[in-house]
Amino acid sequence: MTDRALQDLVIRALADAPFRRSPEWRQRALADPERVERFARFLARHFYFERIVHFFKYSTVLARLTGRRPEAILGQPAFAALLPSLVLGSRDSARAVAGLVVAHVKNGASAQIPYHDDLLRYEEAMMVVEAGPRVWREPTVSATKGVGSGEWVTPEKVAGTALLDLTYDLPAVLPKLLRPWTAVPEAPARPVRLIVARSRHGRVAVAKATDAIVSIMDLADGSKTLDDLAREAGLRPAELQATLQGLTELGAVRFSTGS
Amino acid sequence: MSPLKIGAFYNPHLGRELAEARGIDHLAMADPPRADDPWWPKIKERYTLLLHDYLGQLSEPLDERSIQRARSLAELYHTPWVAEHFQCLHTEDGTYNLNYVFPPLYTEEFLTRFVTNANALKARLDQPLVMENIPGFFDVRHSQMSEPVWLRRFFAATEVGFLLDLPHVWLEAHYHGARPTDWLAEFPLEHVVELHVAGVVDDADLQGPWIAPAEPSEEMLAFAAQAVTRCPGAKAVTFDAFSPSLTAEALLRSVERIRAALA
Repeated sequence: MTDRALQDLVIRALADAPFRRSPEWRQRALADPERVERFARFLARHFYFERIVHFFKYSTVLARLTGRRPEAILGQPAFAALLPSLVLGSRDSARAVAGLVVAHVKNGASAQIPYHDDLLRYEEAMMVVEAGPRVWREPTVSATKGVGSGEWVTPEKVAGTALLDLTYDLPAVLPKLLRPWTAVPEAPARPVRLIVARSRHGRVAVAKATDAIVSIMDLADGSKTLDDLAREAGLRPAELQATLQGLTELGAVRFSTGS
Repeated sequence: MSPLKIGAFYNPHLGRELAEARGIDHLAMADPPRADDPWWPKIKERYTLLLHDYLGQLSEPLDERSIQRARSLAELYHTPWVAEHFQCLHTEDGTYNLNYVFPPLYTEEFLTRFVTNANALKARLDQPLVMENIPGFFDVRHSQMSEPVWLRRFFAATEVGFLLDLPHVWLEAHYHGARPTDWLAEFPLEHVVELHVAGVVDDADLQGPWIAPAEPSEEMLAFAAQAVTRCPGAKAVTFDAFSPSLTAEALLRSVERIRAALA
Protein backbone atom coordinates (compact mmCIF):
# COMPACT_ATOMS: atom_id res chain seq x y z
CA MET A 1 0.00 0.00 0.00
CA THR A 2 1.34 3.47 -0.91
CA ASP A 3 1.58 6.23 1.67
CA ARG A 4 -1.10 8.09 -0.28
CA ALA A 5 -3.45 5.13 0.05
CA LEU A 6 -2.66 4.96 3.76
CA GLN A 7 -3.47 8.66 4.13
CA ASP A 8 -6.81 7.94 2.44
CA LEU A 9 -7.48 5.30 5.08
CA VAL A 10 -6.79 7.81 7.85
CA ILE A 11 -9.06 10.38 6.18
CA ARG A 12 -11.79 7.77 5.79
CA ALA A 13 -11.45 6.76 9.43
CA LEU A 14 -11.95 10.36 10.50
CA ALA A 15 -14.92 10.85 8.18
CA ASP A 16 -16.67 7.50 8.52
CA ALA A 17 -17.75 6.49 12.03
CA PRO A 18 -18.78 2.89 11.19
CA PHE A 19 -15.42 2.38 9.44
CA ARG A 20 -13.64 3.48 12.63
CA ARG A 21 -15.21 0.52 14.40
CA SER A 22 -14.33 -1.98 11.66
CA PRO A 23 -11.58 -4.61 12.03
CA GLU A 24 -10.10 -3.30 8.76
CA TRP A 25 -9.26 -0.03 10.50
CA ARG A 26 -8.69 -1.15 14.07
CA GLN A 27 -6.30 -3.98 13.21
CA ARG A 28 -3.95 -1.53 11.50
CA ALA A 29 -3.40 0.26 14.82
CA LEU A 30 -2.16 3.33 12.98
CA ALA A 31 -3.03 5.83 15.70
CA ASP A 32 -4.33 6.13 19.24
CA PRO A 33 -8.00 5.17 18.81
CA GLU A 34 -9.23 7.50 21.53
CA ARG A 35 -7.46 10.49 20.00
CA VAL A 36 -8.81 9.57 16.56
CA GLU A 37 -12.35 9.31 17.94
CA ARG A 38 -12.12 12.67 19.69
CA PHE A 39 -10.78 14.38 16.58
CA ALA A 40 -13.40 12.71 14.39
CA ARG A 41 -16.19 14.03 16.60
CA PHE A 42 -14.65 17.50 16.52
CA LEU A 43 -14.52 17.30 12.71
CA ALA A 44 -18.13 16.10 12.46
CA ARG A 45 -19.40 19.02 14.50
CA HIS A 46 -17.35 21.43 12.41
CA PHE A 47 -18.43 19.81 9.13
CA TYR A 48 -22.15 20.09 9.89
CA PHE A 49 -21.85 23.49 11.54
CA GLU A 50 -20.55 24.92 8.25
CA ARG A 51 -23.31 23.26 6.25
CA ILE A 52 -26.13 24.22 8.59
CA VAL A 53 -24.99 27.85 8.72
CA HIS A 54 -24.79 27.94 4.93
CA PHE A 55 -27.90 26.03 3.88
CA PHE A 56 -30.19 27.17 6.71
CA LYS A 57 -29.20 30.82 6.50
CA TYR A 58 -32.80 31.95 5.97
CA SER A 59 -33.91 30.12 9.10
CA THR A 60 -31.04 31.78 10.94
CA VAL A 61 -32.37 35.19 9.90
CA LEU A 62 -35.87 34.17 11.00
CA ALA A 63 -34.61 32.92 14.38
CA ARG A 64 -35.53 36.31 15.87
CA LEU A 65 -39.16 35.26 15.29
CA THR A 66 -38.95 31.51 15.76
CA GLY A 67 -36.52 31.61 18.66
CA ARG A 68 -34.75 28.62 17.08
CA ARG A 69 -31.24 28.89 15.72
CA PRO A 70 -30.60 26.00 13.33
CA GLU A 71 -27.05 25.23 14.51
CA ALA A 72 -28.27 24.76 18.10
CA ILE A 73 -28.89 21.09 17.31
CA LEU A 74 -25.14 20.48 17.29
CA GLY A 75 -25.15 20.82 21.07
CA GLN A 76 -28.19 18.62 21.62
CA PRO A 77 -28.29 14.92 22.63
CA ALA A 78 -30.00 13.99 19.34
CA PHE A 79 -26.91 15.04 17.40
CA ALA A 80 -24.60 13.27 19.83
CA ALA A 81 -26.69 10.15 19.27
CA LEU A 82 -26.07 10.40 15.53
CA LEU A 83 -22.27 10.65 15.84
CA PRO A 84 -21.60 6.87 15.86
CA SER A 85 -23.36 6.51 12.50
CA LEU A 86 -22.25 9.65 10.66
CA VAL A 87 -20.26 9.51 7.44
CA LEU A 88 -19.19 13.04 6.53
CA GLY A 89 -20.37 13.91 3.05
CA SER A 90 -22.82 11.02 2.70
CA ARG A 91 -26.36 11.77 1.64
CA ASP A 92 -27.87 9.63 4.40
CA SER A 93 -25.93 11.54 7.06
CA ALA A 94 -26.84 14.88 5.52
CA ARG A 95 -30.50 13.81 5.54
CA ALA A 96 -30.30 12.75 9.19
CA VAL A 97 -28.64 15.97 10.35
CA ALA A 98 -30.87 18.20 8.22
CA GLY A 99 -33.87 16.33 9.65
CA LEU A 100 -32.79 17.25 13.17
CA VAL A 101 -32.51 20.90 12.15
CA VAL A 102 -35.96 20.91 10.54
CA ALA A 103 -37.58 19.29 13.60
CA HIS A 104 -35.87 21.75 15.92
CA VAL A 105 -36.73 24.90 13.94
CA LYS A 106 -40.28 23.74 13.14
CA ASN A 107 -41.08 23.61 16.83
CA GLY A 108 -40.39 27.31 17.15
CA ALA A 109 -42.92 30.12 16.83
CA SER A 110 -43.72 30.43 13.14
CA ALA A 111 -47.26 31.84 13.01
CA GLN A 112 -46.01 35.00 11.29
CA ILE A 113 -44.28 32.98 8.54
CA PRO A 114 -46.93 31.26 6.39
CA TYR A 115 -44.28 29.76 4.10
CA HIS A 116 -42.20 28.36 6.95
CA ASP A 117 -42.79 24.69 6.07
CA ASP A 118 -41.85 25.35 2.43
CA LEU A 119 -38.73 27.18 3.52
CA LEU A 120 -37.56 24.32 5.72
CA ARG A 121 -38.16 21.79 2.94
CA TYR A 122 -36.15 24.01 0.58
CA GLU A 123 -33.22 24.38 3.00
CA GLU A 124 -33.26 20.68 3.82
CA ALA A 125 -33.22 19.79 0.11
CA MET A 126 -30.24 22.09 -0.51
CA MET A 127 -28.21 20.45 2.26
CA VAL A 128 -29.07 16.91 1.17
CA VAL A 129 -28.37 17.56 -2.53
CA GLU A 130 -24.95 19.01 -1.66
CA ALA A 131 -23.84 15.71 -0.13
CA GLY A 132 -21.91 13.11 -2.10
CA PRO A 133 -18.50 12.55 -3.66
CA ARG A 134 -17.14 15.46 -5.65
CA VAL A 135 -14.51 16.08 -8.26
CA TRP A 136 -11.59 17.99 -6.73
CA ARG A 137 -9.35 17.87 -9.76
CA GLU A 138 -10.17 17.69 -13.42
CA PRO A 139 -8.72 14.50 -14.89
CA THR A 140 -5.58 14.77 -16.98
CA VAL A 141 -5.91 14.62 -20.77
CA SER A 142 -4.84 10.98 -20.91
CA ALA A 143 -7.40 10.05 -18.27
CA THR A 144 -10.20 11.63 -20.27
CA LYS A 145 -9.39 9.86 -23.49
CA GLY A 146 -12.62 9.09 -25.27
CA VAL A 147 -14.84 10.86 -22.76
CA GLY A 148 -16.52 13.89 -24.21
CA SER A 149 -15.25 13.13 -27.66
CA GLY A 150 -18.34 11.25 -28.79
CA GLU A 151 -21.83 12.44 -29.53
CA TRP A 152 -24.26 12.89 -26.69
CA VAL A 153 -26.00 9.57 -26.62
CA THR A 154 -27.94 8.69 -23.49
CA PRO A 155 -28.69 11.36 -20.91
CA GLU A 156 -29.05 10.27 -17.31
CA LYS A 157 -30.45 12.07 -14.30
CA VAL A 158 -27.67 12.65 -11.75
CA ALA A 159 -28.35 10.81 -8.49
CA GLY A 160 -29.44 13.13 -5.71
CA THR A 161 -31.05 15.75 -7.95
CA ALA A 162 -34.33 16.80 -6.37
CA LEU A 163 -37.61 18.25 -7.59
CA LEU A 164 -39.40 20.32 -5.01
CA ASP A 165 -43.10 21.26 -5.17
CA LEU A 166 -43.83 24.30 -3.03
CA THR A 167 -47.04 26.10 -2.13
CA TYR A 168 -45.36 29.51 -2.01
CA ASP A 169 -43.10 31.23 -4.52
CA LEU A 170 -39.99 31.09 -2.32
CA PRO A 171 -37.50 32.44 -4.90
CA ALA A 172 -39.44 35.72 -4.76
CA VAL A 173 -38.89 36.15 -1.02
CA LEU A 174 -35.47 34.64 -0.30
CA PRO A 175 -33.34 37.68 -1.25
CA LYS A 176 -35.63 39.92 0.84
CA LEU A 177 -35.05 37.78 3.92
CA LEU A 178 -31.32 38.53 3.78
CA ARG A 179 -31.85 42.28 3.61
CA PRO A 180 -32.84 44.38 6.65
CA TRP A 181 -36.56 44.08 7.47
CA THR A 182 -38.94 44.91 10.29
CA ALA A 183 -42.08 43.06 9.15
CA VAL A 184 -41.33 39.58 7.88
CA PRO A 185 -41.26 39.66 4.03
CA GLU A 186 -44.20 37.96 2.35
CA ALA A 187 -44.04 35.23 -0.28
CA PRO A 188 -46.67 35.08 -3.03
CA ALA A 189 -49.04 32.17 -2.44
CA ARG A 190 -48.61 30.47 -5.82
CA PRO A 191 -47.29 26.98 -6.45
CA VAL A 192 -43.78 26.62 -7.85
CA ARG A 193 -41.73 23.59 -8.74
CA LEU A 194 -37.97 23.85 -8.29
CA ILE A 195 -35.12 21.64 -9.36
CA VAL A 196 -32.12 21.43 -7.00
CA ALA A 197 -28.90 19.96 -8.38
CA ARG A 198 -25.21 19.82 -7.69
CA SER A 199 -22.29 20.25 -10.05
CA ARG A 200 -19.44 17.73 -10.15
CA HIS A 201 -17.42 20.22 -8.10
CA GLY A 202 -20.03 20.43 -5.34
CA ARG A 203 -21.80 23.69 -6.22
CA VAL A 204 -25.54 23.51 -5.47
CA ALA A 205 -27.86 25.38 -7.83
CA VAL A 206 -31.62 25.90 -7.98
CA ALA A 207 -33.87 26.69 -10.94
CA LYS A 208 -37.58 26.78 -11.61
CA ALA A 209 -38.61 23.51 -13.20
CA THR A 210 -40.59 23.74 -16.45
CA ASP A 211 -42.81 20.92 -17.71
CA ALA A 212 -40.02 19.99 -20.15
CA ILE A 213 -37.55 19.68 -17.27
CA VAL A 214 -39.94 17.54 -15.25
CA SER A 215 -40.47 15.21 -18.22
CA ILE A 216 -36.78 14.83 -18.88
CA MET A 217 -35.98 14.21 -15.22
CA ASP A 218 -38.63 11.51 -15.24
CA LEU A 219 -37.42 9.84 -18.43
CA ALA A 220 -33.62 10.28 -18.44
CA ASP A 221 -32.52 6.95 -17.02
CA GLY A 222 -29.32 6.48 -19.04
CA SER A 223 -30.89 4.06 -21.49
CA LYS A 224 -32.93 6.35 -23.74
CA THR A 225 -31.45 8.14 -26.74
CA LEU A 226 -32.20 11.75 -27.57
CA ASP A 227 -34.73 10.59 -30.14
CA ASP A 228 -36.44 8.40 -27.53
CA LEU A 229 -36.56 11.30 -25.10
CA ALA A 230 -37.92 13.77 -27.64
CA ARG A 231 -40.65 11.36 -28.68
CA GLU A 232 -41.68 10.28 -25.18
CA ALA A 233 -41.56 13.79 -23.72
CA GLY A 234 -43.28 15.33 -26.74
CA LEU A 235 -40.50 17.89 -27.22
CA ARG A 236 -39.11 19.40 -30.43
CA PRO A 237 -35.37 18.68 -30.98
CA ALA A 238 -34.38 22.31 -30.38
CA GLU A 239 -36.40 22.45 -27.15
CA LEU A 240 -34.92 19.16 -25.97
CA GLN A 241 -31.39 20.32 -26.78
CA ALA A 242 -31.81 23.63 -24.94
CA THR A 243 -33.36 21.96 -21.89
CA LEU A 244 -30.64 19.32 -21.73
CA GLN A 245 -27.99 22.01 -22.04
CA GLY A 246 -29.46 23.86 -19.07
CA LEU A 247 -29.81 20.69 -17.00
CA THR A 248 -26.22 19.68 -17.75
CA GLU A 249 -24.92 23.07 -16.64
CA LEU A 250 -27.02 22.81 -13.49
CA GLY A 251 -25.54 19.37 -12.78
CA ALA A 252 -28.88 17.57 -13.00
CA VAL A 253 -28.08 15.48 -16.08
CA ARG A 254 -24.96 13.78 -17.37
CA PHE A 255 -24.26 11.97 -20.58
CA SER A 256 -22.85 8.63 -21.46
CA THR A 257 -20.99 8.99 -24.76
CA GLY A 258 -21.14 5.33 -25.62
CA SER A 259 -17.43 5.42 -26.50
CA MET B 1 15.18 44.49 8.50
CA SER B 2 12.13 46.59 7.57
CA PRO B 3 9.44 46.90 10.24
CA LEU B 4 7.04 43.98 10.48
CA LYS B 5 3.60 44.62 9.05
CA ILE B 6 0.79 43.69 11.46
CA GLY B 7 -2.56 42.66 10.04
CA ALA B 8 -5.62 40.45 10.30
CA PHE B 9 -8.02 38.42 8.17
CA TYR B 10 -10.78 40.09 6.22
CA ASN B 11 -14.02 39.10 7.93
CA PRO B 12 -16.84 40.33 5.66
CA HIS B 13 -19.30 40.76 8.56
CA LEU B 14 -16.83 43.32 9.97
CA GLY B 15 -16.45 45.13 6.63
CA ARG B 16 -17.60 48.48 7.97
CA GLU B 17 -15.22 48.43 10.93
CA LEU B 18 -12.28 47.21 8.85
CA ALA B 19 -12.90 49.81 6.17
CA GLU B 20 -12.52 52.50 8.81
CA ALA B 21 -9.96 50.88 11.12
CA ARG B 22 -6.58 52.31 12.00
CA GLY B 23 -3.47 50.34 12.88
CA ILE B 24 -3.98 47.42 10.48
CA ASP B 25 -1.35 47.11 7.76
CA HIS B 26 -2.78 44.25 5.72
CA LEU B 27 -5.70 41.85 5.43
CA ALA B 28 -5.49 38.17 4.49
CA MET B 29 -8.29 36.92 2.24
CA ALA B 30 -9.65 33.46 3.12
CA ASP B 31 -12.55 33.70 0.66
CA PRO B 32 -13.13 35.73 -2.50
CA PRO B 33 -15.19 38.87 -1.88
CA ARG B 34 -18.94 38.46 -2.27
CA ALA B 35 -20.44 40.35 -5.19
CA ASP B 36 -22.83 42.13 -2.82
CA ASP B 37 -20.21 43.13 -0.23
CA PRO B 38 -20.61 46.92 0.02
CA TRP B 39 -17.25 47.34 1.81
CA TRP B 40 -15.09 45.42 -0.63
CA PRO B 41 -14.17 48.37 -2.91
CA LYS B 42 -12.91 50.39 0.04
CA ILE B 43 -11.10 47.42 1.56
CA LYS B 44 -9.37 46.73 -1.76
CA GLU B 45 -8.37 50.35 -2.12
CA ARG B 46 -7.05 50.72 1.45
CA TYR B 47 -5.20 47.53 2.24
CA THR B 48 -2.41 45.28 1.11
CA LEU B 49 -4.27 42.00 0.59
CA LEU B 50 -2.76 38.54 1.08
CA LEU B 51 -4.17 35.59 -0.85
CA HIS B 52 -4.94 32.89 1.73
CA ASP B 53 -7.74 30.94 0.05
CA TYR B 54 -8.05 27.18 -0.39
CA LEU B 55 -6.27 26.56 -3.68
CA GLY B 56 -5.91 22.80 -3.46
CA GLN B 57 -3.95 20.10 -1.67
CA LEU B 58 -0.41 19.68 -2.95
CA SER B 59 -0.36 15.95 -2.36
CA GLU B 60 -1.65 16.01 -5.94
CA PRO B 61 -0.81 18.44 -8.74
CA LEU B 62 -3.25 21.34 -8.96
CA ASP B 63 -5.34 21.10 -12.11
CA GLU B 64 -5.49 23.91 -14.65
CA ARG B 65 -8.81 25.17 -13.29
CA SER B 66 -7.35 25.58 -9.78
CA ILE B 67 -4.20 27.24 -11.09
CA GLN B 68 -6.20 29.73 -13.11
CA ARG B 69 -8.36 30.46 -10.05
CA ALA B 70 -5.24 31.08 -7.95
CA ARG B 71 -3.77 33.35 -10.61
CA SER B 72 -6.96 35.30 -10.97
CA LEU B 73 -7.33 35.83 -7.19
CA ALA B 74 -3.66 36.86 -6.92
CA GLU B 75 -4.23 39.43 -9.63
CA LEU B 76 -7.43 40.71 -8.02
CA TYR B 77 -5.70 41.22 -4.66
CA HIS B 78 -2.28 42.33 -5.96
CA THR B 79 -1.01 39.98 -3.29
CA PRO B 80 2.71 40.06 -2.45
CA TRP B 81 2.69 36.27 -1.96
CA VAL B 82 0.32 33.33 -2.32
CA ALA B 83 -0.32 31.05 0.66
CA GLU B 84 -1.30 27.40 0.81
CA HIS B 85 -1.22 24.76 3.56
CA PHE B 86 0.60 21.50 4.19
CA GLN B 87 -2.63 19.58 4.06
CA CYS B 88 -4.19 16.45 2.66
CA LEU B 89 -7.82 16.50 3.68
CA HIS B 90 -9.72 14.62 0.99
CA THR B 91 -9.21 11.19 -0.50
CA GLU B 92 -7.85 10.91 -4.01
CA ASP B 93 -11.18 9.66 -5.37
CA GLY B 94 -13.11 12.52 -3.72
CA THR B 95 -15.34 10.21 -1.67
CA TYR B 96 -14.22 11.43 1.76
CA ASN B 97 -13.54 15.03 2.66
CA LEU B 98 -12.78 16.37 6.14
CA ASN B 99 -13.54 19.99 5.23
CA TYR B 100 -10.82 21.01 7.68
CA VAL B 101 -7.06 21.37 7.51
CA PHE B 102 -5.34 18.04 8.11
CA PRO B 103 -1.63 17.27 7.69
CA PRO B 104 -0.13 14.64 5.39
CA LEU B 105 1.90 11.67 6.62
CA TYR B 106 5.46 12.83 7.18
CA THR B 107 7.06 10.31 4.82
CA GLU B 108 9.47 10.33 1.88
CA GLU B 109 6.63 9.67 -0.56
CA PHE B 110 4.61 12.66 0.63
CA LEU B 111 7.73 14.82 0.69
CA THR B 112 8.35 14.01 -2.96
CA ARG B 113 4.72 14.70 -3.81
CA PHE B 114 4.64 18.07 -2.05
CA VAL B 115 8.02 19.17 -3.41
CA THR B 116 7.06 18.26 -6.98
CA ASN B 117 3.64 19.83 -6.85
CA ALA B 118 4.74 22.98 -4.99
CA ASN B 119 7.51 23.52 -7.55
CA ALA B 120 4.98 23.09 -10.35
CA LEU B 121 2.58 25.57 -8.74
CA LYS B 122 5.39 28.04 -8.00
CA ALA B 123 6.33 28.03 -11.67
CA ARG B 124 2.79 29.02 -12.64
CA LEU B 125 2.44 31.91 -10.19
CA ASP B 126 3.66 35.47 -10.68
CA GLN B 127 4.12 35.87 -6.91
CA PRO B 128 6.18 33.84 -4.41
CA LEU B 129 4.46 30.82 -2.85
CA VAL B 130 4.42 30.42 0.94
CA MET B 131 3.31 27.28 2.79
CA GLU B 132 1.70 27.06 6.24
CA ASN B 133 2.31 24.35 8.84
CA ILE B 134 -0.73 22.38 10.03
CA PRO B 135 -1.02 20.70 13.44
CA GLY B 136 -1.94 17.08 14.04
CA PHE B 137 -4.07 16.06 17.03
CA PHE B 138 -2.61 12.55 16.91
CA ASP B 139 0.47 10.90 15.41
CA VAL B 140 0.16 8.33 12.65
CA ARG B 141 2.60 5.51 13.28
CA HIS B 142 3.50 5.18 9.62
CA SER B 143 5.19 8.62 9.55
CA GLN B 144 8.93 8.36 8.97
CA MET B 145 10.15 11.69 10.37
CA SER B 146 9.04 14.55 12.59
CA GLU B 147 7.10 17.48 11.16
CA PRO B 148 10.01 19.97 11.56
CA VAL B 149 12.45 17.66 9.75
CA TRP B 150 9.94 17.07 6.94
CA LEU B 151 9.35 20.82 6.61
CA ARG B 152 13.07 21.58 6.65
CA ARG B 153 13.64 19.20 3.75
CA PHE B 154 10.62 20.59 1.89
CA PHE B 155 11.82 24.19 2.08
CA ALA B 156 15.38 23.22 1.16
CA ALA B 157 14.09 21.47 -1.96
CA THR B 158 11.64 24.13 -3.11
CA GLU B 159 12.90 27.45 -1.78
CA VAL B 160 9.29 28.56 -1.25
CA GLY B 161 8.51 30.75 1.77
CA PHE B 162 7.33 29.53 5.18
CA LEU B 163 4.12 30.83 6.72
CA LEU B 164 4.76 29.96 10.34
CA ASP B 165 1.52 29.48 12.26
CA LEU B 166 2.52 29.86 15.91
CA PRO B 167 -0.67 28.51 17.54
CA HIS B 168 -0.20 25.41 15.37
CA VAL B 169 3.34 25.00 16.72
CA TRP B 170 2.07 25.66 20.25
CA LEU B 171 -0.60 22.94 19.87
CA GLU B 172 1.86 20.41 18.43
CA ALA B 173 4.16 21.09 21.37
CA HIS B 174 1.26 20.80 23.84
CA TYR B 175 0.11 17.44 22.50
CA HIS B 176 3.69 16.12 22.39
CA GLY B 177 4.41 17.25 25.93
CA ALA B 178 7.14 19.64 24.74
CA ARG B 179 7.87 23.27 25.53
CA PRO B 180 6.67 25.45 22.61
CA THR B 181 10.02 27.29 22.37
CA ASP B 182 11.94 24.01 22.23
CA TRP B 183 9.60 22.64 19.57
CA LEU B 184 9.83 25.88 17.57
CA ALA B 185 13.62 25.69 17.52
CA GLU B 186 13.40 22.57 15.36
CA PHE B 187 11.62 24.41 12.51
CA PRO B 188 13.43 25.98 9.52
CA LEU B 189 12.80 29.54 10.66
CA GLU B 190 15.19 31.07 8.14
CA HIS B 191 12.48 30.53 5.49
CA VAL B 192 9.72 32.37 7.37
CA VAL B 193 8.01 35.18 5.44
CA GLU B 194 4.82 35.57 7.49
CA LEU B 195 3.67 34.49 10.95
CA HIS B 196 0.18 33.76 12.23
CA VAL B 197 -0.80 34.56 15.81
CA ALA B 198 -4.15 33.73 17.44
CA GLY B 199 -5.74 32.28 20.53
CA VAL B 200 -6.49 28.69 21.45
CA VAL B 201 -9.44 27.55 23.55
CA ASP B 202 -10.49 24.28 25.15
CA ASP B 203 -12.73 22.18 22.93
CA ALA B 204 -15.22 19.77 24.49
CA ASP B 205 -14.80 17.09 21.82
CA LEU B 206 -11.01 17.22 21.92
CA GLN B 207 -10.90 17.60 25.71
CA GLY B 208 -8.04 20.00 25.24
CA PRO B 209 -6.99 23.23 23.54
CA TRP B 210 -7.40 23.84 19.82
CA ILE B 211 -7.40 26.61 17.23
CA ALA B 212 -10.21 29.13 17.72
CA PRO B 213 -11.15 32.62 16.56
CA ALA B 214 -10.06 33.98 19.93
CA GLU B 215 -7.70 36.66 21.19
CA PRO B 216 -4.13 35.49 21.82
CA SER B 217 -3.19 34.89 25.46
CA GLU B 218 -0.26 36.69 27.06
CA GLU B 219 1.66 33.42 26.78
CA MET B 220 1.00 33.27 23.02
CA LEU B 221 2.06 36.90 22.59
CA ALA B 222 5.30 36.25 24.47
CA PHE B 223 5.85 33.19 22.28
CA ALA B 224 5.29 35.36 19.18
CA ALA B 225 7.70 38.02 20.44
CA GLN B 226 10.37 35.38 20.91
CA ALA B 227 9.63 33.69 17.58
CA VAL B 228 9.99 36.82 15.43
CA THR B 229 13.52 37.37 16.74
CA ARG B 230 14.41 34.00 15.21
CA CYS B 231 12.83 34.72 11.82
CA PRO B 232 15.20 37.13 10.04
CA GLY B 233 13.20 37.19 6.80
CA ALA B 234 9.76 37.73 8.34
CA LYS B 235 7.78 40.55 6.74
CA ALA B 236 4.32 40.27 8.28
CA VAL B 237 2.42 39.01 11.31
CA THR B 238 -1.28 38.25 10.91
CA PHE B 239 -3.95 37.77 13.57
CA ASP B 240 -5.37 34.48 12.32
CA ALA B 241 -9.09 34.61 13.05
CA PHE B 242 -11.80 34.20 10.45
CA SER B 243 -15.28 33.47 11.74
CA PRO B 244 -18.77 35.00 11.81
CA SER B 245 -18.54 34.84 15.60
CA LEU B 246 -15.52 37.16 15.72
CA THR B 247 -16.30 40.66 17.01
CA ALA B 248 -14.71 43.87 15.76
CA GLU B 249 -13.51 44.63 19.28
CA ALA B 250 -11.69 41.30 19.56
CA LEU B 251 -10.08 41.71 16.15
CA LEU B 252 -8.93 45.29 16.68
CA ARG B 253 -7.73 44.63 20.23
CA SER B 254 -5.79 41.54 19.11
CA VAL B 255 -3.99 43.43 16.36
CA GLU B 256 -3.16 46.19 18.80
CA ARG B 257 -1.85 43.72 21.40
CA ILE B 258 0.24 41.87 18.81
CA ARG B 259 1.75 45.17 17.69
CA ALA B 260 2.56 46.12 21.28
CA ALA B 261 4.06 42.69 22.04
CA LEU B 262 6.36 42.86 19.01
CA ALA B 263 7.40 46.50 19.47
